[in-house]
Amino acid sequence: MNGELRPIIEARRVDKRFGAFHALKDVSATFYEGQVTAIVGPSGSGKSTFLRTLNRLEMHDSGEIVVDGIVLNDNLKNLDAIRREVGMVFQSFNLFSHLTILRNVSLAPMRVRKMRREDAESKAMSLLERVGLKNQAAKYPVQLSGGQQQRVAIARALAMDPKVLLFDEPTSALDPEMVNEVLAVMRELAYSGITMLVVTHEMGFAREVADRIIFFDEGVILEDTTPERFFANPEHDRAKSFLSQVRHGY
Amino acid sequence: MNWTKRYPGWAMFAAMIGLLVFLWGMAVPLSAAPAPIGPAADQFVEGARITVGLTLIAGSVGVVIGVLAGLGKLSRFGPLRWLCDSYVWLIRGTPLLLQILFVWLAFPLLMPEGIELSDFACAAIALSLNVGAYNTECVRAGILAVPHGQVEAARALGLTPIQTFMDVVLPQSMRVALPALANNLASLVKDSSLAYAISVVELTMVGYRVQAESYQPIPVFITVAAIYLILTTAFTTLTAALEAQLDVGQKR
Ligand SMILES: Nc1ncnc2c1ncn2[C@@H]1O[C@H](COP(=O)(O)OP(=O)(O)O)[C@@H](O)[C@H]1O
Ligand SMILES: [Mg+2]
Repeated sequence: MNGELRPIIEARRVDKRFGAFHALKDVSATFYEGQVTAIVGPSGSGKSTFLRTLNRLEMHDSGEIVVDGIVLNDNLKNLDAIRREVGMVFQSFNLFSHLTILRNVSLAPMRVRKMRREDAESKAMSLLERVGLKNQAAKYPVQLSGGQQQRVAIARALAMDPKVLLFDEPTSALDPEMVNEVLAVMRELAYSGITMLVVTHEMGFAREVADRIIFFDEGVILEDTTPERFFANPEHDRAKSFLSQVRHGY
Repeated sequence: MNWTKRYPGWAMFAAMIGLLVFLWGMAVPLSAAPAPIGPAADQFVEGARITVGLTLIAGSVGVVIGVLAGLGKLSRFGPLRWLCDSYVWLIRGTPLLLQILFVWLAFPLLMPEGIELSDFACAAIALSLNVGAYNTECVRAGILAVPHGQVEAARALGLTPIQTFMDVVLPQSMRVALPALANNLASLVKDSSLAYAISVVELTMVGYRVQAESYQPIPVFITVAAIYLILTTAFTTLTAALEAQLDVGQKR
């Protein structure tokens, strides 16, 4: 199947330390266009660090990361180019608190893509409609619920037409009753064909939506497989105990 | 105050228009007043204009200095950090009067030949440097108060470091820094009176001269105080309204 797929992110032997702590140990993985990958694993295993090295919010110490053919290094032009292609949704939403919802979504296209204000705003409105929040456009982030804020954050990332969307535990900061509205938007995105890397504890979502599961443990990718195999028959004991904990704990 | 919160835009507009109308029209009631005020009305007007001029110039330059030095203090570049720290330490540790005298008497010796600074310019420079140092601390605190996630979100969207600062960090830090900056501006209205020491004829100096000629300090100083109160009230309304404007999205 991989023969017909185009690689969009390639991580080769990526290594990262925080002081003495070895957060990523020689991590390699290739992600393909249109693929939805769920990244799971215990807390502190390096999932966020890995995701954040992919758009250089964290710098890796060694190894190579190539996004859409562009090598991620100290060249700032490359970095800007990559950040335009890779959108990110954070656990804590991080909406710009001093801007309206409409401005939150239209700011980056205006500044980075040099879109005209009217164009950026009409695009923002259609994205807000897509996440079901068109009527909230004039409000400020504090006036919205967590679930609504996260849907705005998704619209904000989409406004840059990214080739890849990174999600770092997008539902972990939400009250339980708001998780589904965000997952519904993500499900719709996944089926629309956008490449997604999703760090999540929502095993139901991972199983249903993901094409691929990556299991992180202590800074290494321990399993890289299909949801069917991962949930039915994980190879490693660490994955088995993780799954049984998740089933009972979350 | 409630009114400034409900209609910040209008309050700002009203305070600004009020200030202009006052500077423009204060001569009319003043000259109608009995001696010793009436005959000296023009001097009071001129003094008030100098005071407002010093405040506006030093106030705006001081904000720019505060933002630049506040950023400098947070810089990763050691020498720049050291320079900004030293500047704040120097200014906050010495009297404003000394700084004004220093600019007036020592700058001409340090400047190249041929460049002459007026007394007003000397006062404006000293006051700008002074309020700038106090603003630096406020701006620095404001920048530190902006959650790091805001910067990450902006950078992840592809905004450059400068765009991130101008569009996200600065406006949010101002929301935190503004009450303290406003305080500094209100102090500046009053601190500008020290310019009298280098013979700038600002409002306090006018009062001093008029009472010396008329031997009537009580009505003269009451008039001066009243003008100061009107000026500080206008500036306070202006900044309170600006605060309310920036506060948008924080509470509610
Ligand atoms: N900026 C940092 N400085 C020091 N240690 C960090 C930093 N970021 C993450 N870590 C450490 O790296 C490890 C992996 O973190 P993270 O990637 O956030 O794990 P996960 O997302 O899987 O829970 C954790 O032990 C964390 O404490
Ligand atoms: Mg994490």
